[in-house]
Amino acid sequence: MITISNLLTKLFIIILVIVFVTSFSASYNSLNIDNLAFVIALGIDKSDTNELEVTFEFSAVDPSSEGTLSTKPVFNTVQCSSITNGINMMNAYLDRKVNLSHCKLIVFSEEIAKDGIADEIYSLINETQVRPSSNIVVSKCNSKYYIENSTPTLESLVTKYYQIFPNTSEYTGYTCNATIGDFFNNISSNYSDPYAILGGINNSDNSSNSETVNDSTIKSNETPITGTRKTQNIGLAVFDNDKLVGELNAIETACFLNIEKKIDTFLISIPNPEIVDNKIDIYLTPNTTHKIDVSIVNGAPYVKIKLRFSGKIYSMTRDAQYLDNKILDKISNSCNTYLESQFSNYLYKTSNVFKSDINQFGSYALSEFTTTSEFENYDWQNNYKNSTFDIDIETIIDSGFLLNQT
Amino acid sequence: MEKNRKINTISAIMLTLSIVVSYITSSIPRTLINETKSSTLLNIIYTTAIVLFIILLFCKLIKKFPGLDLLDISEYLGGNFFKNIVGGLFIFYFISSSSIMLRNFCEGLVVIYYPLTSYIVIIAMFIISLVLVNRLSFNSTINTSAIIFPIVIISIILLFFGNLHNFSFRRMYPILGDGWYNTFVLGLKNIGAFGGICYLYFLPPMLKQPEKLKKIAVISVITTGIFIAICVATLLFMFSFFITADEIMPLFSAARYIEFGAFFQRFESIFLLIWIISFCCYLSITCKFSTHIFAKMLNLSSMKPVLNIFAILIFAISLLPKNYASSIFFETGVYRYLRIAIGFILGMMVLLLANLKKRKVGDNN
Repeated sequence: MITISNLLTKLFIIILVIVFVTSFSASYNSLNIDNLAFVIALGIDKSDTNELEVTFEFSAVDPSSEGTLSTKPVFNTVQCSSITNGINMMNAYLDRKVNLSHCKLIVFSEEIAKDGIADEIYSLINETQVRPSSNIVVSKCNSKYYIENSTPTLESLVTKYYQIFPNTSEYTGYTCNATIGDFFNNISSNYSDPYAILGGINNSDNSSNSETVNDSTIKSNETPITGTRKTQNIGLAVFDNDKLVGELNAIETACFLNIEKKIDTFLISIPNPEIVDNKIDIYLTPNTTHKIDVSIVNGAPYVKIKLRFSGKIYSMTRDAQYLDNKILDKISNSCNTYLESQFSNYLYKTSNVFKSDINQFGSYALSEFTTTSEFENYDWQNNYKNSTFDIDIETIIDSGFLLNQT
Repeated sequence: MEKNRKINTISAIMLTLSIVVSYITSSIPRTLINETKSSTLLNIIYTTAIVLFIILLFCKLIKKFPGLDLLDISEYLGGNFFKNIVGGLFIFYFISSSSIMLRNFCEGLVVIYYPLTSYIVIIAMFIISLVLVNRLSFNSTINTSAIIFPIVIISIILLFFGNLHNFSFRRMYPILGDGWYNTFVLGLKNIGAFGGICYLYFLPPMLKQPEKLKKIAVISVITTGIFIAICVATLLFMFSFFITADEIMPLFSAARYIEFGAFFQRFESIFLLIWIISFCCYLSITCKFSTHIFAKMLNLSSMKPVLNIFAILIFAISLLPKNYASSIFFETGVYRYLRIAIGFILGMMVLLLANLKKRKVGDNN
């Protein structure tokens, strides 16, 4: 028997269901995959009118690909006063809503990075869709051009390429996994400065630059690499607060990664102690016994860095005698000298020239102060340029790989 | 208290911690860090020790009133009128603080997942779940909390260990943050983070073994301290910006960084789901405790008719703040002090005076 109470309860439930379905449908529709256009890379340039020029790279399934999953990138550019306005205008242009939750790469042109990108970074972090793991690239060329030419050669999916290329830093040390999350963290703190991947394009004119004679001193836009893909990501863009102040080349980036303990192995070419004007390639693995101490001596930061490496000889020549301990010791010493010089160059370049603490040495100095106000009064970011570095490097070269004697 | 409503020791601990966990997953860790900066961990150790001392004092004071809760003791101290004042204040605190927390939590959900849905609808969803849970017995709520709580704890521990690679332990320095005065004197305000302990005042009549109240209280305080420390450590070691910036649902931000290779990513949705369920448990516990106090104040035989009224009250109060900024102001600037004033000062004063009265009456006798 149906009572009025039962009827009212059922009516109430029906009304509730209708209210909730109506209320949540708007959010559901706005986040429905069918209504979204997923951005996989974002390029930010400065337009001729001093506004922003934002390039969106979308992923669209390539109908011509048969059997394999392949996507065809689609590029759209908009001139706007801010990134958020750019997204809004793109929403109006597209038949779908722009969604940044799969955006793997955010590229800033060198020009805009020099003016400061704090507002853009804060706006992007404020956007719930942007992942903190999205990589930040500073492009030596126009960021639009960089994105358009970032077509992977060995991958069918651009997103996969964007995801894996920063990981090469773990075994080359020539680039870095610089994320927007880290960038925001560094820009917000008073003891560190941000950094980004240095991107560029193959430029045959620049490849003859005298600085690039050594393989390890290459950087984006100045490499001897030519290939199907025009873009390259070698080196690091260094910021002082939110402004781009300089670039690091490949070996300097490796130094940065070593201090950050973000590298598994890397290759260096050191002078061969046995043969004059000859080089020997060593594959180095950093030990876990890295130690960094920062103290304040006479008002200036004194940074003590202890690094330990083990290495194997990669390049092999005729008449190699790598079972002889004396020769191995000589190579180890040569390696130590080379690395000390590289680390010293890198550290004084970032502190004296760039005045940028991208290695967060300031965080090591925090323990030297009792209170936050003491640290703030010390003004680490201004004092970092007065730093003295004491670098202690020990390398143990033990053998070649398969061959030890020829 | 009916026999079927009696709860065992473990459930009682879980119940207290479920309340604290909801505070933790909302905004407490961020508020603590904003307050005491890099010395937050030191401050938590200090406040845990203070709260532990307070709770031991509470156990000592309540020992003379076995099986009685704060309302019974208030009645003994100042009669029925005083009991109603104390009960009314605790109801006001429980209902209003949970309403404001609900509002903040829902504002976060709107920003993260439901951009085009009004926060009122999301709050209404929680209230409906509360009304449905209210139809079940008190023990159902306790048992649900006992099931959900370990899952929430696993999520918090996973949050800590999943982000270990992002940690910079050096961020705990300068060890004294804004100085010893801010850490140890002004930092006393942070005992408000242990607000869940207030519920202990009303537990004795509900316990199967009231003699284990001390054990429940001490374990709850120590575990609460550990969980707050884990959450604060996660934020403090990961981010430099929480000291100055304000981000909605800080632990959610930390959850976004958890990745296990390229395949296992974007765990934050699971975390948020767990926290939503845990928040429902918290609301239900708060509602039932408030109703229990109300029923006891007015000597009502059944709590059920009042339960839904309290649910509607929570809904109404949560709509009062004009915007997120206002509700955050209430949570960090008002309720934190209310938690200390009502939860610690009022409760302990009642117990202290009741003990003095008992001693005096005993002496006279």
